[in-house]
Amino acid sequence: MNDAACNILIVKKRRTLWLRLVEAVVITVTASVLAAAQSLPQVRLDADGLAPRPIEELTATTILHTYSLAWSSLATTLESGGPERLGEQFVGAAKDRLVRRVNEQNQTGVHVRILDHGHQLKAIFYSTDGTAMQLVDTAQLEIQTFDGSRLIDTQSVPHQYVVLMTPGADRWYVRDLQEVSQKSF
Amino acid sequence: MTKAQNEFARRVALLGPLLLSFTTCAAAADLRLPETVEAGRGFSISADGSGKATLYLIGPDHVLKHTVTLGGDLQIQPADVHTAGRYQAIVCQGSCTSSFFEVKASQPAHLSFFLHPSRVPVSLPDSIDATVFVFDQYFNSVLTPTTVDFQIAPAEGARVSRRESTQHGIAWVHMNSSSREGQVHVTAAVGKVDETRVIQQVAAEACGVRMNAVESGNVVTIRTDLVRDCSGNALPDGTIVSFTMMDRDGKSTVDTPIKKGIAQTRFSISGPARITVACGVVLGNEVLLKGKL
Repeated sequence: MNDAACNILIVKKRRTLWLRLVEAVVITVTASVLAAAQSLPQVRLDADGLAPRPIEELTATTILHTYSLAWSSLATTLESGGPERLGEQFVGAAKDRLVRRVNEQNQTGVHVRILDHGHQLKAIFYSTDGTAMQLVDTAQLEIQTFDGSRLIDTQSVPHQYVVLMTPGADRWYVRDLQEVSQKSF
Repeated sequence: MTKAQNEFARRVALLGPLLLSFTTCAAAADLRLPETVEAGRGFSISADGSGKATLYLIGPDHVLKHTVTLGGDLQIQPADVHTAGRYQAIVCQGSCTSSFFEVKASQPAHLSFFLHPSRVPVSLPDSIDATVFVFDQYFNSVLTPTTVDFQIAPAEGARVSRRESTQHGIAWVHMNSSSREGQVHVTAAVGKVDETRVIQQVAAEACGVRMNAVESGNVVTIRTDLVRDCSGNALPDGTIVSFTMMDRDGKSTVDTPIKKGIAQTRFSISGPARITVACGVVLGNEVLLKGKL
């Protein structure tokens, strides 16, 4: 084989390797995106009869996405015990309380695993100026409580939360998240 | 007795007390606790049984783990239940038993009051939005229905009151702006807790515009009367008034802001001209100069 032919073969081999590498990266990224998408809990939103302002379609989409990310981040944080892993979806009282909770979990050796089977959100208040939205979430959660590695409790019942969300420059935030008993509504 | 039977009997004799002890330990303590608790109020949990156990209290922002003695009351301190929400109490002595209770907000102590917009034209129906969030002393949202009194006090004229009940901690009302310009104080009150916000009512659209022309050689000075809305309020300075002159050379327009209630401008004229005035959607009178065009 002459030098030119040899160079062409090397270039072809390099191209093949490069394409394979790109393929591998694409597949990995796609898989990661799919995995991330799959790991996000399912959230449904009912905004019928919302007052005093109706919800805009884009706002509804953003709320769903933010709330789903928030719960994914909440579950990860409560299980891993890393308050820094709490997503930017939480602000204000909601963030302060969750950070305190995680810190105290770490001090006591307790951690919680949440198996999230989905959320049904009902929007009940959207302020006229668009600066606050209140929702009620009925969440299907299985919550396992551990002390160290020992499972001390498992609960699998619907949970109900009153949620206050507020908009930022380009996204919505969870400002308050309060669990209430089923009898509250 | 065979050798195997002997061995079985020996093992039972050895394991018997151990199994009994395990059975005793595994008996879950029966927890008795209130269904609801007011935030910041201590209470006790009753747990049957005897001996040492581990109590876990898991709340929205608080996790406790204590060694306790069963058979008496387990005290939960006020500071352990400041935050409203659902709490779980777990007692473990071998096996674990758990129960839930809900901490509800205490009495209203803080109001977050939003009034929108900050400037509003007079006599506009449903133009003022007031929203109140009710919180207790620990900034828990007070979700039980609470009566909120809204009082609207304009600079002049009678005060207006509205009463609304909160739904899930929020009360809101739409209100009409009153007919006089100036500051309006709006107060939201729950019991002895109140918050006041101030908004500015400004004149609405002009009701009519009237102008006068004074000729001086080739220059004409146009000046409006005081520009008012239909409630008699003078339009604020900066409101634009448009003067349009049509003559043989065509049309020319001057936009000028109101200063001290009136607007004025000057045109050069070289023959017959017609001048009109407008403010917003309101057209004023016409002035003809030096005969018809």
